[in-house]
Amino acid sequence: MKIVVAIKQIPERDAAVRIDAAGAWIDESDMQWGMNESDAYALEEALRLKEAYGGEVIALSAGPERVSSTLREALAKGADRAIHVDAKDLAQRDSLNVAQLLAAAIRPESPDLILTGLQSDDLGYGLTGVLVAELLRLPHASLILHVEKTESGLSVKRELEEGWFQNIELPLPALLTIQSGGNKLRYATLMGIKRAKTKELRNVAASDLGVAPAQTVALERIALPQKQKSTQILTGPAKEAAVALVERLKFEARVL
Amino acid sequence: MTLLLPTLAEPSSFALGEKLLFAALAVASGLLFAHRFVPILRTILRARKDADFRLSPLGRRVRDLVWDVMCQAKVIRQRPLPGLAHAFVFWSFCAFALVTLNHCAAGLGLGFLSPAGLFGRWYFYLAAAFALACSAGILGLFVRRFLVRPRWLGSHVSWESGFIAFLIFNLMMTYLAAFVVPTGSPAVKVLWWVHTLTLLVFLPILPHTKHLHLILSPATVFLSRGSFSRIPPLAGDEDFGLVAGTDLTRLAALQAYSCVECGRCTEHCPAADTGKLLNPKEIVLGLRAYLNEQGPASAEPILGKYNAQEAVFQCTTCGSCEFQCPVGIEHLPLIVGLRRGAVNTGTWEDDRGARLFLALERGTNALGLPAAEREKFIQKQNFPIFDGSQEYCLWLGCMGAYDPKGREIVADFARVMNYLGTSYGVLRKEKCTGDPVRRLGNDLVFQQLAESNLELLAQSHAKKIVTICPHCVRTIQEDWKEFGTPPAIEHHSEFLARHLSRLPQVHSDEKIVFHDPCYLGRYRNVYDEPRAVVEHAGTRVEAARSGERSFCCGAGGGLTFLGEESGERVSHVRAAELAATGAATVAAACPFCNSMLHDAFAAQGSGAPEFVDIAQLTARALPQPTPPANG
Amino acid sequence: MSGVWVVLEERAGRIGRISWEAVAAGQALAQQLGLTVSAVIPGAQTETPAAEAATKAINKVVRLDHALLSPYTPDGFLGALEQFFRAVQPGYVVFPHTYQVRDYAPALAARFGQAFIGDVTGFADGPVFHRQLLQGRLTGTYRPAGNETCFLSVQSGAFRADQLAAGSPPVEVFTPALEATQIRTWSSTPFRAAAQTVDLSTAPVIVSVGRGIKEADNLPLIQELAKALGAELAASRPICDNGWLPIERQVGSSGQTVAPKLYVAVGISGAIQHLVGIKGSQCIVAINKDPDAPIFEAADYGIVGDLFEVVPALIDALKASAT
Repeated sequence: MKIVVAIKQIPERDAAVRIDAAGAWIDESDMQWGMNESDAYALEEALRLKEAYGGEVIALSAGPERVSSTLREALAKGADRAIHVDAKDLAQRDSLNVAQLLAAAIRPESPDLILTGLQSDDLGYGLTGVLVAELLRLPHASLILHVEKTESGLSVKRELEEGWFQNIELPLPALLTIQSGGNKLRYATLMGIKRAKTKELRNVAASDLGVAPAQTVALERIALPQKQKSTQILTGPAKEAAVALVERLKFEARVL
Repeated sequence: MTLLLPTLAEPSSFALGEKLLFAALAVASGLLFAHRFVPILRTILRARKDADFRLSPLGRRVRDLVWDVMCQAKVIRQRPLPGLAHAFVFWSFCAFALVTLNHCAAGLGLGFLSPAGLFGRWYFYLAAAFALACSAGILGLFVRRFLVRPRWLGSHVSWESGFIAFLIFNLMMTYLAAFVVPTGSPAVKVLWWVHTLTLLVFLPILPHTKHLHLILSPATVFLSRGSFSRIPPLAGDEDFGLVAGTDLTRLAALQAYSCVECGRCTEHCPAADTGKLLNPKEIVLGLRAYLNEQGPASAEPILGKYNAQEAVFQCTTCGSCEFQCPVGIEHLPLIVGLRRGAVNTGTWEDDRGARLFLALERGTNALGLPAAEREKFIQKQNFPIFDGSQEYCLWLGCMGAYDPKGREIVADFARVMNYLGTSYGVLRKEKCTGDPVRRLGNDLVFQQLAESNLELLAQSHAKKIVTICPHCVRTIQEDWKEFGTPPAIEHHSEFLARHLSRLPQVHSDEKIVFHDPCYLGRYRNVYDEPRAVVEHAGTRVEAARSGERSFCCGAGGGLTFLGEESGERVSHVRAAELAATGAATVAAACPFCNSMLHDAFAAQGSGAPEFVDIAQLTARALPQPTPPANG
Repeated sequence: MSGVWVVLEERAGRIGRISWEAVAAGQALAQQLGLTVSAVIPGAQTETPAAEAATKAINKVVRLDHALLSPYTPDGFLGALEQFFRAVQPGYVVFPHTYQVRDYAPALAARFGQAFIGDVTGFADGPVFHRQLLQGRLTGTYRPAGNETCFLSVQSGAFRADQLAAGSPPVEVFTPALEATQIRTWSSTPFRAAAQTVDLSTAPVIVSVGRGIKEADNLPLIQELAKALGAELAASRPICDNGWLPIERQVGSSGQTVAPKLYVAVGISGAIQHLVGIKGSQCIVAINKDPDAPIFEAADYGIVGDLFEVVPALIDALKASAT
């Protein structure tokens, strides 16, 4: 099975966030970058499929120079080769346009399966996978926790809300968006890093893919939320505090 | 006076036939010895060279040889009675070297020591005295091994040990008997032949048994890496740790063949003591079996048939085994080496381990918490940021920065430094030192962390570091050396002890027991400083196992992140031992010990002693900060 | 352009709360822009949910009805909704941000050449739409560039559905042209994970108890709270060490790592190994009598008090709010 895994490089979870001077995006200088979490699970699923059924895993990522480090990480974990769509103008492209860019990079590979993470932890759109499938006219399933190969294609387990699941069967080629937590991630190893040095990492300029930057929806500005996370201590007699807590859990935290 | 003492009776002459028979037997014995010993030697020499091996400094090696081998210091110190018994057997062997040489030479008519000569007479007396001591010693050891049977000798009764003991006893007896038989009687020759045959049987048996240590262990002690728990750097692009025979070095092979199976390592192992699979002796014997069956050129994995992966990952790296080993075996490089082999090639699969590695691959701390939590703590405590102008860089460590208990220790230690007027600052972007990944064998993540921290320290121009965590101290000072030059670092117990005279003392009769952290005691040889701090605050009492023999809390070697799935919890055993001293307060000097034992005491429920760090003991006596006037 | 359309999601013949919230969002948007709001329900045999929708103050309700729309498939929904919206030419299409919507709505927007704005938490003049970035650490403001149809989904709980005005709009039927061969995927009926012993790692709500409980005999109180919350029961290490609860219920670095929506820590002081195990929780509530307990640092909501008073009050409050 030839599998392409689309991976996004995002600011490290821990990184301190400052808004840039224009107020439209975060200040990227001095930022630490890493692989988006659900993409790491997509990569893991791809590697497991390859281990079970043979084939090839190709890691794909779009972005400036820095994303090559994340692709190297994917190679170290076991991807066979990588494609870097070199684009410094992702901020001038909306989600649809980025998906067009990725789809254009994938098309010549004609993979059997495309995997992406469910969503990125920075922009959090959760669109890319579904859009790439639409653009490549492939069947897709999202929020996938488990993948099995069948005679006619794939049988996958999809997460629904509130602890429900369903099985989906779909023919190949197809696209799946992978939910975090379906597998255990493997850790990077010294051996993997050393082996990765000799693997192919191909650079494709975004301008060569024939997708000019465009956006139908623009991220105009960003701001810190009014309320930073801090502990709310509910005071008063037990009864009042309890009622106040239930109210807040329902309408503020929205977890009930 | 000398006339009253009996003299050693030696056969006056040997017939040619006797001489030929003896010569033939001696050659046969020598050949049989070589038949086993040469392959062993070849196996050791065929193993990979130790890339980091340096013979210098010779002084340390000679000292170890004289002190631990010739004087048997370690053997006696760790187990006084059996140690002394062993020492007498050993010293007798030394004394008998000349006697035996003469004995054999005499068989060919070439004897050079005469019982009639002055030197010979006295030397034979000396040897007789040793023979008496040796006989007593061997009898004592026999009784212990076959009748008393301490648990750590294992359930397997070694009959070969009994046979060897019999041979040694026989040698001594036939020698001593020669003093009492009349010169010229036929018994003299009978004794000579019995003694000779015993020797000729003894020699070829040696390399087949653990008594091989007689020959190898002086070399093992002399050639050992020397520094405690030294993890050798990986050699080249294809070295991932101990995966297969090709990764075993000469030192590892020499050590594997030197094991005398005394079980000192097992006796003090926290894993073995709490019913886990790990037994450090079996690790060494597993390697020996591997070398015997597969050899040093084999690509067959070591983990699996020869050593259990589960056992290897139960080690807390407390170092008791290595510390006590009388024949110079360095268990930690072996155990950590096996872990490296499994982790660096990705064959170790463990959910919690993987979580730790992933947390440190991407994040900043072993706990996997957001770095913002650390920043909040620094702000809340108003810690100055280190800018190169302060005397000390205060290294928080993961526990000091994120663990609520560790934070209390850091805050109290900072109060003490404030009181003393010592300037210090903390780093904004400090990361985990890599201690847990280092001990678990993840060289990739360890190197990333060490390099990024070294760079940070170089930029900040830190000259001196002080920290509350002995694991940080060890890792920064020793393990980082592979990647650069770390600044000087000390543990807060050393800092506190040095400044005790300037710190207020609240006199107290409170009984305080100090729990020696492995990474402060055995790893750093710091025992007196924390005790001085304890004595400053109260009356010190000692736990059953303390100092060099202190028992682990169960946290080290990354195990605090792995969970303890089998056996009794190490921390509970240790907590019970500390509580048994009757002390009202238990003082520790390591945030990991603090966390492990705190939980253990919490499970004990009410009546458990109070548990504090020595920094907190010191801070308790400081004057309370005066609230602001308008407050 | 024909105003604001809300796509309702029916489940077992009912319309869920989040769909009503989407209606509320649609109404607010329509009001601001001076447009009308209508609703469309894709599915097969949608009479009942359509009747339910037709009790609210909206312009009209359309049943986008076809046998091939049940069970849900992305191909079926995309085909049907594309035909429908090509016909009605909406200005804005508002979806509830459900797993199902995330599965097809972005592709639907793409068919209209538009980027989808998902998980919207609010909007302002323009209109511009707000949504969270970096997992809630930032909010972003999005502006549609042109005058084409704008597709967006609204976050659960972002708009309040409990004040929707009543009405009696007409119900119409739109039958899309769908062929079975267009549908490339097959879906099973939904199922719940097989009941296993205890799986804290996937539990959406967890009530965890620590040493504050004092003795094992007091555990039923906590069990009752767990029941009221529909939660799994868990514990800190000393509780399991004492054998009061089985070891598989231990949360922490030496036990289970959990990531529930809601984690309620009762009588837990917050040792590091416990905090490490709960850091993935979306919302943490701490109940402890020690105001300095470290657990409060990690918590979103805290009640300082005796758990033997607070927990019964909380059980009462939960029961009261459920009715």
